[in-house]
Amino acid sequence: MAGIRVVFFEECDEHLGELENGLIAIQEGDRDPETINIIFRAVHSIKGGASIFGLEALVGFAHTFENLLTKVRSGEKALDEAVIKTCLKAADVLADLVREANGGAAVEDGKADPLVSTLTALSSGSSAGAEEAEEEDPELAALQFQPVSVSFAELDVAAPKTLAIRFKPGLAMYAKANDAILILQELSRYGEVKAAVNTDALPLLDGLDPREGYLTWHISLLTTQHPSLVREVFEFVENDCELEISEAETIAPIAAPPPPVIEAPPTAPPVSFAPAPAPAPVGPVEAAPVPNQPQTQGSIRVDLDRVDRMIDLVSELVINQSILVQRLAGERFNGQAEVSAALEDLDKLTREIQDSVMAIRAQPVKAVFQRMSRLVREVEAVTRKPVRLVTEGDATEVDRTVIERLSDPLTHMIRNAIDHGIEPPEKRAAAGKPAMGTVKIAAAHRGGRIIIEVSDDGAGINRERVREKAVERGVIGAEDRLTDEETDNLIFAAGFSTADQVSDISGRGVGMDVVRSGVQALGGRITVTSVQGQGSTFTLSLPLTLAVMDGMLVQVGDQGMVVPLTALVESFQVAPGDVTRLGVETTFLHLRGANVPLLDLGAMLGYPRGEDEDGRHVALLVEDDSGQRAALLVNDILGQQQVVIKSLEANYREVPGVAAATILGDGRVALILDVNAILSRRRRVCAEPKAA
Amino acid sequence: MDRLVPELRLPAVLDTAAAPALVQELAALRGGAVCLEAADVTRLGGLCLQALLSARSTWASDGHAFSIKNLSPAMQETLALCGAEVLGT
Repeated sequence: MAGIRVVFFEECDEHLGELENGLIAIQEGDRDPETINIIFRAVHSIKGGASIFGLEALVGFAHTFENLLTKVRSGEKALDEAVIKTCLKAADVLADLVREANGGAAVEDGKADPLVSTLTALSSGSSAGAEEAEEEDPELAALQFQPVSVSFAELDVAAPKTLAIRFKPGLAMYAKANDAILILQELSRYGEVKAAVNTDALPLLDGLDPREGYLTWHISLLTTQHPSLVREVFEFVENDCELEISEAETIAPIAAPPPPVIEAPPTAPPVSFAPAPAPAPVGPVEAAPVPNQPQTQGSIRVDLDRVDRMIDLVSELVINQSILVQRLAGERFNGQAEVSAALEDLDKLTREIQDSVMAIRAQPVKAVFQRMSRLVREVEAVTRKPVRLVTEGDATEVDRTVIERLSDPLTHMIRNAIDHGIEPPEKRAAAGKPAMGTVKIAAAHRGGRIIIEVSDDGAGINRERVREKAVERGVIGAEDRLTDEETDNLIFAAGFSTADQVSDISGRGVGMDVVRSGVQALGGRITVTSVQGQGSTFTLSLPLTLAVMDGMLVQVGDQGMVVPLTALVESFQVAPGDVTRLGVETTFLHLRGANVPLLDLGAMLGYPRGEDEDGRHVALLVEDDSGQRAALLVNDILGQQQVVIKSLEANYREVPGVAAATILGDGRVALILDVNAILSRRRRVCAEPKAA
Repeated sequence: MDRLVPELRLPAVLDTAAAPALVQELAALRGGAVCLEAADVTRLGGLCLQALLSARSTWASDGHAFSIKNLSPAMQETLALCGAEVLGT
């Protein structure tokens, strides 16, 4: 039962996502009846599942919400702005109730009740009720929207018709905590139910398996709903029961109930049982195929631990494969065409397996983007700035380990965009902009990474103010000359966020430096561009996965080290004349007209100096996330390769300057360099190469 | 005569979890007339419904009387909904 409960909450997340998407589409003008159906189905499915687990608060709220949606779907209730706004709020509360039912934070007292009144008033259809509802909610009252008439002609809310349903629950259905009676009760919400039970297959008590389902119901349902919607009642059980739904063209109500299946013996036994008749065929209806039969589901649910375990194993396979290649290369097989071809095939196959396994864990960023629309609504309500959230590239896939950690930086950036970026409506009007601001999140794959852009059409970064603050806070000197881009990027500097910036919305005591740290921890980079009066764009560049990365393998002392390719600009040979020493510990390299700090990686990491140290003349030019560059002096460059990332913290402990570790083809452990950490220490340890 | 008919008081909740015990208890009463007291029933599920229907035909096949009395409103409603009113007669 616990397992089913887990699945239920996973499905709830999906339904809440569909609900959110549908409501946003409607808010943006989508009036496709199917969108309304999707919304209805999402709420209905949550209710159905919740009732199985006795989650009464959730069932009750979903039921009230569903009532309004039923009215909207049937065209009885116009889809005006008040209804849309209420539905959006109801979706938020529904999500909170789901979270609460799943052991999360309790929904605040008084949050759901006024909304229930509003939902009830709106679904009652009475203007008085709606007025009351608006009075209860000052925000709704303030909207003063004109109702928009929507044509629901295509919604198929035709005259009542009779549906003949044959329903035989099986063992699997009951085993998953579903119950035939609950299904029948649910069905009765769609119209008038006349059910007859067939007991032909029912054994006597001594042959009865109490878990097996033996009964078959023949149900006549008089309803105005389309059969595909009635079928949704069986959504949870369809694969675990026998089900046939056929449509009769009878317009008149059911004339008479089906003949009783069991002839009750009014007096003495034996009792005679008459088999239930099949539902009377009416009109030209064919028993099968059933209209709108859902297609076979093309996905399965797999425990995440199993996927993670598989990814670990494939990572081991990748490492072992490189060990094999290296060992064979050094052995007598070296140069044998057959062996080389087989190794190449193995390499290709291993990469394909790795890619395929990683793809299993890849998820569209939609899951995170969806959460942002609620955030926008909440911030919008507090700031009183009307904002529209636009998302692009929701289907872009990225490893779920990255997805999970995307939420925090995005949340902070969107809060900032609305609180600091978007101007109040009156200022926007004065600037000739539409009163409603726009915040856009877009995702795309580029160069093996995922790029996420958060942009707003607000005022842009106030560079004068940023500069003032930065000087005041000691981030830059009063005389420092910065380009516009450098000034914009000052907002990521540690200590830039100041107390007077803290507000209920975006302050919360953390600044954009925290966002940058979060992004960097993901192996990502963040930059900002801004045009005054037109808005700002934050760009996040993140790896697609945290499990593998491309790196440059270098020799430092007698150790192999990996420099992430994302941080590497170029590699080159150092000529003695290009090196300038300033003071005791600072060395600069003259590189094409510019001076960059030259860092001795071995000395910084504490590796003992080797015998050939004086002969070193190879360096890598690297760039950290803030765009700062430095040259790293190494013993040798061994080559570029994809490495499997192994957490150093989890297996050993955190080491300053080292991001993680990997296992090389020869079985040795190599450390993966944390370029950001190394560059931030650049003033502390420097060295000077000597001429060969 | 009525005093000799064994009586089984049905529990309030007759859901899926209650079905195995109900079948067991009913089976233990075989061999004579039985009367089930249904005043407490607030919830009747599909598996318990079929256990009661099976018991009814078992008693019929054994040639003994089987009855259910004092049906709670909830039970009456459920029987009416699923076309099994015969259990209440």
